[in-house]
Amino acid sequence: MIVYECCGIESVTKKVYCSSCGKEITNEYDVPEVGTVYSFTVIQVPPTQFAHLAPYTVALVQLNNTKAKLTARIVDQVNIGDEVKLEKIVDGAYVFKKSEVLHNS
Amino acid sequence: MTAPVYIHGIGMTKFGSFEDKTLKDLLIEASKEAIKDAGVSKIDAVFVGNFMGGSLANQEILGAIVANDLGLGYIPTAKLEGACASGGIALRQGVLSIMSGEYETVLIVGAEKMKHASTSTVTQVINTAMDQSTNEKEAGLTFPGYFGTVANRYFYETGASKEHLAKVALKNRENAMNNPYAQFQKPTTIDEILNARMVTDPLGLFDCSPITDGGAAVVLSSKPSNIKVRASAQASGPTLMQDADDLLSLPAVRVSGEKAYEKAGLGPEDIDVVEIHDCFSMTEILSSEELGFFPKLQGWQGVNEGKTRVDGEIPINTSGGLLSKGHPIGATGIAQIYQLVRQLRGNAPNQLTKQPKIALAQNLGGTGAYSVVHILERV
Repeated sequence: MIVYECCGIESVTKKVYCSSCGKEITNEYDVPEVGTVYSFTVIQVPPTQFAHLAPYTVALVQLNNTKAKLTARIVDQVNIGDEVKLEKIVDGAYVFKKSEVLHNS
Repeated sequence: MTAPVYIHGIGMTKFGSFEDKTLKDLLIEASKEAIKDAGVSKIDAVFVGNFMGGSLANQEILGAIVANDLGLGYIPTAKLEGACASGGIALRQGVLSIMSGEYETVLIVGAEKMKHASTSTVTQVINTAMDQSTNEKEAGLTFPGYFGTVANRYFYETGASKEHLAKVALKNRENAMNNPYAQFQKPTTIDEILNARMVTDPLGLFDCSPITDGGAAVVLSSKPSNIKVRASAQASGPTLMQDADDLLSLPAVRVSGEKAYEKAGLGPEDIDVVEIHDCFSMTEILSSEELGFFPKLQGWQGVNEGKTRVDGEIPINTSGGLLSKGHPIGATGIAQIYQLVRQLRGNAPNQLTKQPKIALAQNLGGTGAYSVVHILERV
């Protein structure tokens, strides 16, 4: 996935200007959709749109090879530090899976 | 040269569930009380704080409605929206309008009507306080979910646990038990809090502020009174969890606090009593660190040692906070001022034994997207 960078600040969200130097952000590069769980929550009370999924896990994933983090839905039960990788993209959501689960399957 | 700003009147409705009252009823009831308390006859402008009037109560043009129904004449009005900081932002616009010299006396009123809607509908509408055009929203992150994710990381990096969050909820409930305006006045226990239904792991029902109907109002003037607004400051922060440099920080709270201290020429050590935006138990701890009351990642120890209790070194949320007083979104930032003015006047629920002189209110919007800080002084 694309990561945007300027002045050492890296984000998966594209911003117009760099909050550090004020110039337009032009650097971007691809990183693999692989990382570790930085933190997570299990949502028991969902908004109407996601009621059919509850309970479901959402995690902040620290992507490998970048400072950027990504908010993703996780299909497994996870803990902080677990390695995860992209399983699929559904309606604009990144859905990740535990890496070892993929290895075993 | 800027004009000084003083608080002349305060008013609020009881917070809770009011099936028979409309959003307008709540605005007018709080406004009438504040105007009566101020003893003024002429209001030059009205600023309304409200978040979901359009989507939940099917009502906009709140500023004009307040002016019209109070019979204030053809004065300028506006509604300010900044999610849960709508009230604080409306107050700040009122402060700035007096400082500029444009108006002498203004009314600020905030209200929200929420209880008639289902929890899933309210959750969906509250989610508009996060950026809705991104992968983060599509992942299904909720507003409480953000602070649940923060809490799990906070536990991981500190010695804190769910029990420390429960101590925040218990303290605020105990404070609310003495506040007749609070939504929740029933006693509770640590065990009940710890065993309550999970909302978003690790946050349970008592860790989350409730859905509430209510209103609150303040009358400000450049004419002197015994409560002065020493500082008004505001800042923005990330609108997405994945954009946070440090998940365990709320930069908007930190920056708005620093700016307010600088304007007032004061520091956290000078503050006698505080209302912090405890939309979640976790948020009270995090913001108490960002405002300088505790070192970073040590706020939970302050709670554990009772420092934030009414009789502690730095009493936080003597009103019961959002967690137990209730959180009618647009009213919240103004209701914080209501409690602090009563503390400064010496007649608050949970009045501090030593009548405070300096008070600080911090109102948060979104998952750290907006923060407003006001510092008040008894003069």
